[in-house]
Order: sequence, then C-alpha cells, then structure tokens
Amino acid sequence: MAVTTEVSEKLRALPEAAAVALRMKAEHYFDVIRAMLDVFATKKSLDSIYVTSTIPSTSIINALDVLEIPLDHIWFVDCISQIMMSAGQKHGHAIYVESPTMLENIMLKVEYLIRRTADRKNLVIIDSINSLAIHNNTKILSEFLHILVNNLRAKEAYTIIFSMEEYETEEIRNMLNLVSDETLQVEGEA
Amino acid sequence: MAPRERDEAEERERCITGIDGLDNILNGGIPRGNTVLITGSVGTGKTSLCLEFLVHGAIAGENSLYVSVTENSDKLLTNIIPYDFFDRKLIKEGRLVFIDLPVIYDKLGLEKLEFEFEEVNILITAIGNIVDELKIKRLVIDSITSVCYRLKTQENIRDFILKLGAMLSSRGCTSLLVSEISPAEERYSHYGVEEAIADGVVVTGNLERRGDLLRTLQVVKMRGTMHSRAKYVLDLTAVGVLLVPLLKGGSVASAGG
Repeated sequence: MAVTTEVSEKLRALPEAAAVALRMKAEHYFDVIRAMLDVFATKKSLDSIYVTSTIPSTSIINALDVLEIPLDHIWFVDCISQIMMSAGQKHGHAIYVESPTMLENIMLKVEYLIRRTADRKNLVIIDSINSLAIHNNTKILSEFLHILVNNLRAKEAYTIIFSMEEYETEEIRNMLNLVSDETLQVEGEA
Repeated sequence: MAPRERDEAEERERCITGIDGLDNILNGGIPRGNTVLITGSVGTGKTSLCLEFLVHGAIAGENSLYVSVTENSDKLLTNIIPYDFFDRKLIKEGRLVFIDLPVIYDKLGLEKLEFEFEEVNILITAIGNIVDELKIKRLVIDSITSVCYRLKTQENIRDFILKLGAMLSSRGCTSLLVSEISPAEERYSHYGVEEAIADGVVVTGNLERRGDLLRTLQVVKMRGTMHSRAKYVLDLTAVGVLLVPLLKGGSVASAGG
C-alpha cells in the first residue's frame, strides 16, 4: 500500500499533460498499476489507455479484477498476445497489434482510442520501454517515443512510460531523459 | 502587391477531405476542383479513403457521388456501415449517391467493349449531366482503370481524363479517380498517362519491414498547394482513416510500397 500512496501522490503533483518516466523494481509492478489506474486516473476522471508489450492484457485484466478495479474507463493496446500465438479470448476492452515491432500501429491504436474516448482526457501508459527495447532498435524506439509523446502532449494527455530498473540500460535512460518531462523513481518502503 | 499578400490572394479554396491526417498533409485539404488519382495495389485502402471523403462531404452539405465501375453499390454500402459517423439518412436525402457505371452504359446504349472518341464524349456528357442535376461537389470513380480498359489507346485515355477533369473542375467538383496498379509496377497508374494528367496523385501501398506489413499513403503530387511528400502509415478504423508518420529508424526496406 505504501508504494500505491507514494506513486499516486507523485503523479498528482505533476503538471497537466506531463510525460513521465516511471522507474520501478519489478516487485512494485502491481502496486504502481493500482496507483495509476485506480487512484490517479479515477481522481482526475481520466480514461486510461494501457499499452502493454510486457504481459498480455488478459493477465493485467485478471489482476485488476482481483484488485477490484473496474474496467469501465480502461482500454488496452495489446502488442504481445498475437505474437505469442496464444488462442486466448479477445477482450472487449483490448485492441491488438500484431507485434511490438509495429510501432506505427501502436500509435494508430492509441489515436483511435483517444478519439473513441473524446469526452474525457486521457492517461496513456507504456508498459514498458524495456520490453519494447527487446523488439526494436534504439533509433526507431526513440523516434516512436518522440512522436508519440509530443502528439499526446498536444492532445493534453498524460504519458507514463514504465521502466524496470533491473533491465534498464544506459541507452534506455538517455532515451527516457530525452522524451519525458520528469523521471519519477518508485522508492518503495524504506 | 507584396509576395505574401499575393500568395494569400492566390490561395485556392480547399475541399476539406474530413480525413484529419490527409488534410494536414495537404495543408488544409484538396484544392477545390482538382482531379486526384488515388492509386495503389489491392487491399491498400483506396476505396475506404474515397468513401470516407464522400461521407464527410455529404455530412458537410456537399452532395457526393460514388460511381462504381466494377463492384455493385449495394455491396459497397455494407463497407461503410461500420463508420461511426455514417448515417443512412445521407443516402435517403440524396446527399450521398451511388451509381453503377454499367447501368449508365446501358442507358446510353454504350454496348461496345471498345470506346472511340464519340463514345468518350457521350460518357463525359452523361457524367456532367448527373453532376449538374444532382448538384454534385465531390465525385469518386472507382475505378478509372476499369473505364480506361475500354478506351484502349493512350490518346483516348488522355482525352477522356483531360475532358473529365476540365468538366468537373468547371463545376467546382473535386474528384478522386481510383487507379489500380500491381505491387510490382513502378509507375503510378496502369496506363502511365493518368498520373501525368491528374492534378494530384496519392499513392497507397504496402510496406514490408522485418516481416511486418504496413499500409502506407504518400501524396506525390498535388497542384495548387504545398504538401508533405513523406510516407505515412494508415489504419482503417470505425472513426475513419487514421495516419501517422512512417518511422525511419534506419532500418526500412521497401517492398511494393
């Protein structure tokens, strides 16, 4: 619970339409998700667009179900389920991109969801820069983030980019510094 | 007159396509009255792009006409129902009209498989009459390649497109002519003359990058406006055609795009 409080308070202190790199340890993953989707997005009345290239959207949806977080204002761009060739059921709140290498299609799906949720402002979560970096070289990934973040800023959407400390490289840190307004470090309990 | 003032005075009225990304690429829309070739291989989004252009026109109060050459209009209609912004009322009120060209051929008695100069004139006059009668401001012919198939010679094709373009432009009608090309073709139209005569050329294609197939769009020519000539990636969605810049990333290999 301490991580959830810490993260939600840090997010609430952000200026409107900020682009943030959120550095965390893998152990804090679900507490961070709760802080963003349940606390921050709810308080700000935001529609959340969750881009996942780390784990399939169904896994996150199941976790949200356990955490009793309603899906009404949460939408997923799932870039990993199709590449896994799993015959899992499609979820009504998820749209699918064939592969995390199809970065333009990720931008297009985010744009689509923003248009579909036009009555509310958006929170766009990129989960995570580390998994996207597995599938894409640094040049194209930097270009993707630069265009996406600026586009979202123009639409007054918040952007939060997850970075797992355990898998962070110097290149990823430089990339995040370039595109984000701030870097928030999740400390966890002391 | 200072150059900037002159530029503003000469700025042509735009036909706003309603496709945000395309209007941005074209610096505000297609110059009104232009005849634009929409060219690309199968499955690249040509027809969807044209249908959306017409639906937005009809919504904006500009009567819009789709001339179908190869596919039955009823079948086409099923393709626009998924659009969030499409309303059947547009058709009932006559703001969005679908006509099958073979029906016009029948009415005009154009039964020959090969058209000569005279038949070309009859066809253009007939299209002009429909445009006048229905007060059409946006027109799509899908596809011009199928019409040109009957014209046989490059002279006839040139003559047809020139006269058609002039006739539509004089009526303030902005038109999209769909051109089908195979992925291997290096020119922008099947007969090679359409691209030179049209006021604009928009190319849709498929681009393969590391095994992924992306739908692309590129405006290579548009008279009367400054425009981007970069390649964009497009998606066909219920909210219409969406476009984002193609990422370069230093690793792009083109295949048929």
